[in-house]
Amino acid sequence: MIEALFSQSNYVAAKRLLDLTATRQAAIASNLANIEMPNYKRLDVPAAFEAQLQQAVAEGDTTQLRSLKPVLAEDTTAIANRSDGNTVDLENEMTRMYQNSLEHTLETQLVTSHLLKMRLAITGRPV
Amino acid sequence: MINLLNGVESTAAAMTAERIRMDVVAQNIANAEMSKGLDGRPYQRQKVVFETVLRNQEQIGASSVQPKAVQVARIERDARPPRQVYDAQRGLIELPNISVQEEMVDMIASSRAFEANLAALKTARSMAVQTLSIGKR
Repeated sequence: MIEALFSQSNYVAAKRLLDLTATRQAAIASNLANIEMPNYKRLDVPAAFEAQLQQAVAEGDTTQLRSLKPVLAEDTTAIANRSDGNTVDLENEMTRMYQNSLEHTLETQLVTSHLLKMRLAITGRPV
Repeated sequence: MINLLNGVESTAAAMTAERIRMDVVAQNIANAEMSKGLDGRPYQRQKVVFETVLRNQEQIGASSVQPKAVQVARIERDARPPRQVYDAQRGLIELPNISVQEEMVDMIASSRAFEANLAALKTARSMAVQTLSIGKR
């Protein structure tokens, strides 16, 4: 019965987005660690994951939303602009990291506000 | 063990590697003018060789692609020949194959890479703090 409270597609989607930002942060940490490594190819979560997520939210398909898992892959769109074949670009990577961190802040607030609203509905008084 | 900081293995390993690189640069600069070492030969420049390793015990997703860490594979000698300098009293002498400018550039690059990793660590930390405060206002 209580399960239904946590099965709304927006809430499940927010959790999947948190998975996405956590995985992406691991990818960016790996990219920054290997910034001086010849022939290293930058890692990222492919944009296909966000597309799948968007589709599942549009269809309101919570089982699909639950089964989605972000995976790391080599970023094939990145081009090496250095002679050593490394596709990591420091400025680009730092920008993505801050963007990812902001997205993470947004998603934690989404989840928090959802939980607080639920608590308000249950107890009848603001926390 | 649960891992709260995303990608911290990669970051920590890279910071260690950069620190070792910085130590080697310091050693090179310190010995830049040493014309006779213990073996009677001029000091030879040392350089670090990095290698990529898979550090993560825990798989992220089902994918075979995992975050990569970096470590120092070995420290090797630079095979370039020693500098030859003419000295009025002693004639032609051999000095180490070190250019201080080159070492300084290497040092700055190493320091920048270290800072980038530190920024990644700080971001991971702030993300973990936010995650832990879910449900609080």
